[in-house]
Amino acid sequence: MILDLHNHSIKSDDGRARVESYCQWIRKKEIPIDGFVLTEHRQYDDESDYRALEDEFGLRILKGSEVETEYGHVLVFGVNDDLRAAFDFTRIDLPLATVLEESGRCGAQAVPCHPGRPNVGLCAHYETRGVPEGVEIIEVASGGSRAGEDEAAAALAERHDYAGVGGSDAHIVSHIGRCATRFPREIRDEEDLVAALREGGFEAVRWT
Amino acid sequence: MMVEFGDEFEFQPDVSMPTVKSFTTEATRMDFWRFTDHEKARELGGLPGAIVPGIMSQGILAAAIHRFLPGSTIRKIDTIFRAPLLVDSSPTARGVVTHVDEEEGTAEIDLTLVNEAGETPVLGTAVVEVARAE
Amino acid sequence: MDVEELKTRFVGEEFDSTEFEVKPADALAFARCCGETDPRYSDPRHPEYQAPPTFMTRFHGRRTMPEEFPEEYFQGSFDGGKTVIAHAPIPVGATLVGTSQIADVYRKTGRSGSMTFLVHRMEYRNQEGEPISTVDWKLIRKDEA
Repeated sequence: MILDLHNHSIKSDDGRARVESYCQWIRKKEIPIDGFVLTEHRQYDDESDYRALEDEFGLRILKGSEVETEYGHVLVFGVNDDLRAAFDFTRIDLPLATVLEESGRCGAQAVPCHPGRPNVGLCAHYETRGVPEGVEIIEVASGGSRAGEDEAAAALAERHDYAGVGGSDAHIVSHIGRCATRFPREIRDEEDLVAALREGGFEAVRWT
Repeated sequence: MMVEFGDEFEFQPDVSMPTVKSFTTEATRMDFWRFTDHEKARELGGLPGAIVPGIMSQGILAAAIHRFLPGSTIRKIDTIFRAPLLVDSSPTARGVVTHVDEEEGTAEIDLTLVNEAGETPVLGTAVVEVARAE
Repeated sequence: MDVEELKTRFVGEEFDSTEFEVKPADALAFARCCGETDPRYSDPRHPEYQAPPTFMTRFHGRRTMPEEFPEEYFQGSFDGGKTVIAHAPIPVGATLVGTSQIADVYRKTGRSGSMTFLVHRMEYRNQEGEPISTVDWKLIRKDEA
């Protein structure tokens, strides 16, 4: 199963895409993904219900979040009430250690994203802040990367033996499906996604 | 409607120094070195070179819509300047129709200015009232 | 002054009102430089001739910020984007009234590190008070490390 793990809708302050339009785009352009995850900035969207769109377009639509830490931005999958009570998603200076630990404790999975990006990626902080404990997976293919940034992420993953996922970091409709993650199993919901990430065996894929 | 979901369009805008100078002097009176002097932009501004004014990039994207849909009326255009677009570069202005509202007669369009490296220093969206066929 | 204080004190308050003339030569040059080919914007003889829809982005009020706003707060800031809502055609040769306000202030992190965003809004009306154009200008300041 192939899921694009990193996308933003109009729920994010800088997102300009309707979720329905993402679905239409994927089908119109025959993008070979089975679904995507909405990772809105500094929040978890528990209001929206995308089940009707899932049925209409035959796509899996899951929800996560993208939070901000001193080591850069981090995707969190499997967000639940416990995790939302554990730290303030709206802060822009969360301790990475807290996000990693609490995600583990609450049955979620934290994945630092676009590690090669200046300031908001892990690579920029390793020299000054040291190697953080508890990172297991990072985003090695990002649709928002500039030249050299994904290569830096891949090198980091190899050096520290991190697993790698892919996501488009789409903010507009036509940017979805640029990068994704191929899993060796079916994923039905957010809990399944966390389980699949913990099991391993997945790989990042890129189409651009 | 004259437009369908997924329709794509593009054109090659002119961001050469003479055109940018004309924009900053004749059109807007904002003749700053960061727009019109590569050397000063590098030395004083720490930029890779002179940069295209953000409002010119936005104007280019609006022009791209009008080239694709002559007679249409832009109701809203929202652009994000993510990185410098360099003067004397060869960007491509692209648009993609991402939503069509037949009842309202409007279309939503993704807009990007893509540089030679395939990066997107400027992106945005627009809501356009599409001219109906006579 | 922190972001919350800036928000409480300044957001929503109209702090400037200035008249702007839509000069024919400026409007034509704006259209030409941007590559406009639609005669409504590029041909002054067209019956619906008007300035390009984003033309009002070129103006600023007499004051960029409210009088007591800590202006040094946004010295060295950069332009993060523009949003234009076109309410009506921009009449060439007309004088419009533009009022200014701070619409929002917030923080987030990006490629440039921790940043403060300020949304500066100008609303343009004709002499009859009818809305012509709303321009939001997103100013970004890098926070000190």
